[in-house]
Amino acid sequence: MAVSVSQMSSTPLQVLLYLNGWYFAAYFLAESLMFVFKGLMLPYPTANLTLDVVLLLLFLGLESLRIFYGWKGNLTERSLAMFVSVLILVLCAVLSVYYLLLQTFVLRLEFILNAVLLCFYSLEMLLGIMSISAFSRSKVY
Amino acid sequence: MSAVGNLVPARFLTLTAHLVIVITIFWSRENNVEACLPLDFTQEQYDNEDTKLVVALSVTLGLFAIELAGFFSGVSMFNCSQGLLSTAAHASASVALLFFLFEQWDCEFYWWILAFCSVLPAFVEILLFIAVFGLKKKPL
Repeated sequence: MAVSVSQMSSTPLQVLLYLNGWYFAAYFLAESLMFVFKGLMLPYPTANLTLDVVLLLLFLGLESLRIFYGWKGNLTERSLAMFVSVLILVLCAVLSVYYLLLQTFVLRLEFILNAVLLCFYSLEMLLGIMSISAFSRSKVY
Repeated sequence: MSAVGNLVPARFLTLTAHLVIVITIFWSRENNVEACLPLDFTQEQYDNEDTKLVVALSVTLGLFAIELAGFFSGVSMFNCSQGLLSTAAHASASVALLFFLFEQWDCEFYWWILAFCSVLPAFVEILLFIAVFGLKKKPL
Protein backbone atom coordinates (compact mmCIF):
# COMPACT_ATOMS: atom_id res chain seq x y z
CA MET A 1 0.00 0.00 0.00
CA ALA A 2 1.39 3.35 -0.99
CA VAL A 3 1.04 5.93 1.74
CA SER A 4 1.23 9.51 0.52
CA VAL A 5 2.72 11.80 3.13
CA SER A 6 2.70 15.53 2.55
CA GLN A 7 5.98 17.41 2.67
CA MET A 8 6.61 18.92 6.09
CA SER A 9 9.88 20.79 5.57
CA SER A 10 9.55 24.48 6.29
CA THR A 11 10.53 26.71 3.36
CA PRO A 12 10.65 29.93 5.43
CA LEU A 13 12.97 28.22 7.90
CA GLN A 14 15.23 27.06 5.07
CA VAL A 15 15.37 30.59 3.65
CA LEU A 16 16.24 32.01 7.06
CA LEU A 17 18.97 29.43 7.70
CA TYR A 18 20.52 30.06 4.29
CA LEU A 19 20.56 33.84 4.68
CA ASN A 20 21.65 33.55 8.30
CA GLY A 21 24.74 31.64 7.17
CA TRP A 22 25.71 34.48 4.85
CA TYR A 23 24.80 37.11 7.43
CA PHE A 24 26.91 35.44 10.10
CA ALA A 25 29.90 35.33 7.74
CA ALA A 26 29.59 39.11 7.29
CA TYR A 27 28.99 39.51 11.04
CA PHE A 28 32.13 37.52 11.92
CA LEU A 29 34.22 39.59 9.51
CA ALA A 30 32.84 42.86 10.90
CA GLU A 31 33.37 41.77 14.51
CA SER A 32 36.95 40.68 13.80
CA LEU A 33 37.76 44.04 12.23
CA MET A 34 36.07 45.86 15.10
CA PHE A 35 38.16 43.92 17.63
CA VAL A 36 41.31 44.92 15.74
CA PHE A 37 40.12 48.53 15.86
CA LYS A 38 39.23 48.40 19.55
CA GLY A 39 42.47 46.63 20.45
CA LEU A 40 44.53 49.32 18.75
CA MET A 41 42.53 52.46 19.54
CA LEU A 42 40.96 51.86 22.95
CA PRO A 43 42.51 50.94 26.31
CA TYR A 44 41.31 47.34 26.06
CA PRO A 45 42.66 45.11 28.87
CA THR A 46 44.48 42.14 27.35
CA ALA A 47 42.56 39.58 29.40
CA ASN A 48 39.20 41.00 28.32
CA LEU A 49 40.26 41.19 24.68
CA THR A 50 41.46 37.58 24.74
CA LEU A 51 38.20 36.43 26.32
CA ASP A 52 36.08 38.29 23.76
CA VAL A 53 38.06 36.95 20.80
CA VAL A 54 37.93 33.37 22.11
CA LEU A 55 34.18 33.71 22.64
CA LEU A 56 33.86 34.97 19.06
CA LEU A 57 35.61 31.84 17.77
CA LEU A 58 33.34 29.71 19.97
CA PHE A 59 30.38 31.62 18.53
CA LEU A 60 31.57 30.77 15.01
CA GLY A 61 31.80 27.07 15.86
CA LEU A 62 28.39 26.93 17.54
CA GLU A 63 26.75 28.87 14.72
CA SER A 64 28.17 26.58 12.04
CA LEU A 65 27.02 23.53 14.00
CA ARG A 66 23.56 24.99 14.57
CA ILE A 67 22.99 25.93 10.93
CA PHE A 68 24.18 22.50 9.79
CA TYR A 69 21.83 20.67 12.18
CA GLY A 70 18.95 23.00 11.36
CA TRP A 71 19.53 22.53 7.64
CA LYS A 72 19.82 18.74 7.97
CA GLY A 73 16.88 18.43 10.35
CA ASN A 74 14.59 20.54 8.22
CA LEU A 75 15.40 18.89 4.90
CA THR A 76 15.29 15.31 6.21
CA GLU A 77 12.34 16.04 8.55
CA ARG A 78 14.02 14.69 11.67
CA SER A 79 12.90 15.97 15.05
CA LEU A 80 16.15 15.15 16.83
CA ALA A 81 18.44 17.17 14.55
CA MET A 82 16.04 20.11 14.66
CA PHE A 83 15.87 19.84 18.45
CA VAL A 84 19.67 19.95 18.68
CA SER A 85 19.59 23.00 16.42
CA VAL A 86 17.12 24.83 18.67
CA LEU A 87 19.17 23.91 21.74
CA ILE A 88 22.36 25.37 20.25
CA LEU A 89 20.30 28.39 19.18
CA VAL A 90 19.80 29.24 22.85
CA LEU A 91 23.57 29.23 23.41
CA CYS A 92 24.08 31.41 20.34
CA ALA A 93 21.42 33.83 21.58
CA VAL A 94 23.21 34.08 24.94
CA LEU A 95 26.48 34.88 23.15
CA SER A 96 24.73 37.45 20.97
CA VAL A 97 23.27 39.17 24.04
CA TYR A 98 26.76 39.15 25.57
CA TYR A 99 28.14 40.97 22.54
CA LEU A 100 25.13 43.29 22.54
CA LEU A 101 25.35 44.42 26.17
CA LEU A 102 28.20 42.95 28.22
CA GLN A 103 31.39 43.55 26.24
CA THR A 104 34.08 45.86 27.59
CA PHE A 105 33.42 48.33 24.75
CA VAL A 106 30.22 48.11 22.68
CA LEU A 107 30.18 50.12 19.45
CA ARG A 108 26.91 51.32 17.91
CA LEU A 109 27.57 49.19 14.85
CA GLU A 110 27.90 46.11 17.06
CA PHE A 111 24.63 46.98 18.76
CA ILE A 112 22.77 47.13 15.44
CA LEU A 113 24.42 44.00 14.01
CA ASN A 114 23.53 41.99 17.11
CA ALA A 115 19.97 43.32 17.11
CA VAL A 116 19.52 42.08 13.53
CA LEU A 117 21.05 38.74 14.49
CA LEU A 118 18.63 38.39 17.41
CA CYS A 119 15.73 39.05 15.01
CA PHE A 120 17.00 36.13 12.93
CA TYR A 121 17.20 33.97 16.05
CA SER A 122 13.67 34.84 17.19
CA LEU A 123 12.17 33.86 13.84
CA GLU A 124 14.23 30.69 13.61
CA MET A 125 13.34 29.67 17.17
CA LEU A 126 9.64 30.05 16.38
CA LEU A 127 9.82 28.23 13.05
CA GLY A 128 12.11 25.57 14.52
CA ILE A 129 9.69 24.72 17.32
CA MET A 130 6.80 24.60 14.84
CA SER A 131 8.87 22.28 12.64
CA ILE A 132 9.71 19.97 15.55
CA SER A 133 6.03 19.62 16.43
CA ALA A 134 5.10 19.04 12.78
CA PHE A 135 7.78 16.36 12.35
CA SER A 136 6.86 14.64 15.62
CA ARG A 137 3.11 14.73 15.13
CA SER A 138 2.82 12.67 11.97
CA LYS A 139 4.87 9.50 12.22
CA VAL A 140 4.17 6.85 9.60
CA TYR A 141 4.77 3.25 10.65
CA MET B 1 21.41 28.79 -11.60
CA SER B 2 24.76 29.45 -9.94
CA ALA B 3 24.47 33.13 -10.86
CA VAL B 4 21.10 33.38 -9.14
CA GLY B 5 22.51 31.41 -6.23
CA ASN B 6 25.10 34.11 -5.69
CA LEU B 7 22.79 37.04 -6.37
CA VAL B 8 20.31 36.20 -3.59
CA PRO B 9 22.80 36.45 -0.69
CA ALA B 10 24.53 39.42 -2.34
CA ARG B 11 21.24 41.28 -2.49
CA PHE B 12 20.38 40.38 1.10
CA LEU B 13 23.77 41.46 2.44
CA THR B 14 23.74 44.80 0.60
CA LEU B 15 20.19 45.42 1.83
CA THR B 16 21.29 44.67 5.39
CA ALA B 17 24.36 46.89 5.06
CA HIS B 18 22.22 49.78 3.84
CA LEU B 19 19.74 49.21 6.69
CA VAL B 20 22.51 49.14 9.31
CA ILE B 21 23.99 52.40 8.03
CA VAL B 22 20.58 54.12 7.96
CA ILE B 23 19.98 53.12 11.58
CA THR B 24 23.46 54.40 12.48
CA ILE B 25 22.64 57.75 10.84
CA PHE B 26 19.40 57.87 12.83
CA TRP B 27 21.48 57.46 15.94
CA SER B 28 24.14 60.08 15.24
CA ARG B 29 22.51 62.62 12.99
CA GLU B 30 23.22 65.84 14.94
CA ASN B 31 26.47 66.49 13.04
CA ASN B 32 24.75 66.16 9.68
CA VAL B 33 21.94 68.47 10.77
CA GLU B 34 24.42 71.11 11.96
CA ALA B 35 26.33 70.83 8.66
CA CYS B 36 23.42 72.38 6.73
CA LEU B 37 22.79 75.22 9.21
CA PRO B 38 24.62 78.55 9.56
CA LEU B 39 27.06 78.94 12.42
CA ASP B 40 24.59 80.94 14.49
CA PHE B 41 21.52 78.76 14.09
CA THR B 42 18.53 78.98 16.42
CA GLN B 43 16.89 76.01 18.12
CA GLU B 44 13.85 76.39 15.88
CA GLN B 45 15.98 76.10 12.73
CA TYR B 46 17.72 73.04 14.16
CA ASP B 47 14.41 71.35 15.02
CA ASN B 48 13.08 72.08 11.54
CA GLU B 49 16.06 70.52 9.74
CA ASP B 50 16.15 67.63 12.20
CA THR B 51 12.49 66.87 11.50
CA LYS B 52 13.15 66.85 7.76
CA LEU B 53 16.03 64.40 8.15
CA VAL B 54 13.99 62.15 10.44
CA VAL B 55 11.18 62.11 7.87
CA ALA B 56 13.65 61.16 5.13
CA LEU B 57 15.12 58.35 7.23
CA SER B 58 11.64 57.09 8.15
CA VAL B 59 10.63 57.05 4.48
CA THR B 60 13.77 55.01 3.81
CA LEU B 61 12.77 52.49 6.46
CA GLY B 62 9.30 52.25 4.91
CA LEU B 63 10.83 51.53 1.51
CA PHE B 64 13.01 48.89 3.17
CA ALA B 65 9.87 47.22 4.51
CA ILE B 66 8.42 47.08 0.98
CA GLU B 67 11.58 45.59 -0.47
CA LEU B 68 12.08 43.04 2.33
CA ALA B 69 8.43 41.99 1.99
CA GLY B 70 8.96 41.34 -1.72
CA PHE B 71 12.24 39.56 -1.12
CA PHE B 72 11.05 37.23 1.65
CA SER B 73 7.68 36.48 0.11
CA GLY B 74 9.49 35.14 -2.96
CA VAL B 75 8.00 37.65 -5.37
CA SER B 76 11.41 38.93 -6.45
CA MET B 77 13.87 36.64 -4.65
CA PHE B 78 14.89 34.84 -7.83
CA ASN B 79 14.27 37.66 -10.29
CA CYS B 80 17.68 38.39 -11.81
CA SER B 81 16.88 41.90 -13.02
CA GLN B 82 15.51 43.07 -9.70
CA GLY B 83 18.32 41.26 -7.89
CA LEU B 84 20.96 43.10 -9.90
CA LEU B 85 19.19 46.46 -9.62
CA SER B 86 18.71 46.06 -5.88
CA THR B 87 22.28 44.91 -5.24
CA ALA B 88 23.76 47.76 -7.27
CA ALA B 89 21.46 50.37 -5.72
CA HIS B 90 21.99 49.29 -2.13
CA ALA B 91 25.75 48.85 -2.54
CA SER B 92 25.94 52.37 -3.97
CA ALA B 93 23.75 53.63 -1.14
CA SER B 94 26.01 51.98 1.44
CA VAL B 95 29.13 53.64 0.02
CA ALA B 96 27.43 57.04 -0.38
CA LEU B 97 25.96 56.95 3.12
CA LEU B 98 29.31 56.05 4.62
CA PHE B 99 30.69 59.22 3.03
CA PHE B 100 27.59 61.05 4.29
CA LEU B 101 28.29 59.78 7.79
CA PHE B 102 32.07 60.23 8.01
CA GLU B 103 32.45 63.41 5.97
CA GLN B 104 29.38 64.95 7.65
CA TRP B 105 27.69 65.97 4.43
CA ASP B 106 24.78 68.39 4.28
CA CYS B 107 21.44 66.82 5.03
CA GLU B 108 20.14 67.92 1.60
CA PHE B 109 22.35 65.27 -0.01
CA TYR B 110 20.39 62.57 1.75
CA TRP B 111 17.34 63.19 -0.44
CA TRP B 112 19.35 62.45 -3.59
CA ILE B 113 20.67 59.20 -2.13
CA LEU B 114 17.12 58.32 -1.08
CA ALA B 115 15.71 59.05 -4.55
CA PHE B 116 18.22 57.00 -6.53
CA CYS B 117 19.11 54.17 -4.16
CA SER B 118 15.92 53.47 -2.19
CA VAL B 119 12.98 54.69 -4.25
CA LEU B 120 14.07 53.04 -7.50
CA PRO B 121 14.33 49.40 -6.26
CA ALA B 122 11.22 49.82 -4.11
CA PHE B 123 9.30 51.16 -7.11
CA VAL B 124 10.35 48.18 -9.25
CA GLU B 125 9.38 45.94 -6.32
CA ILE B 126 5.88 47.41 -6.31
CA LEU B 127 5.63 46.83 -10.07
CA LEU B 128 6.63 43.19 -9.51
CA PHE B 129 4.00 42.87 -6.78
CA ILE B 130 1.38 44.15 -9.21
CA ALA B 131 2.62 41.79 -11.93
CA VAL B 132 2.68 38.71 -9.70
CA PHE B 133 -0.47 39.22 -7.64
CA GLY B 134 -2.51 41.35 -10.02
CA LEU B 135 -1.62 39.99 -13.44
CA LYS B 136 -0.89 36.44 -12.19
CA LYS B 137 2.54 36.24 -13.79
CA LYS B 138 5.16 33.81 -12.54
CA PRO B 139 7.56 35.46 -10.08
CA LEU B 140 10.70 35.06 -12.19
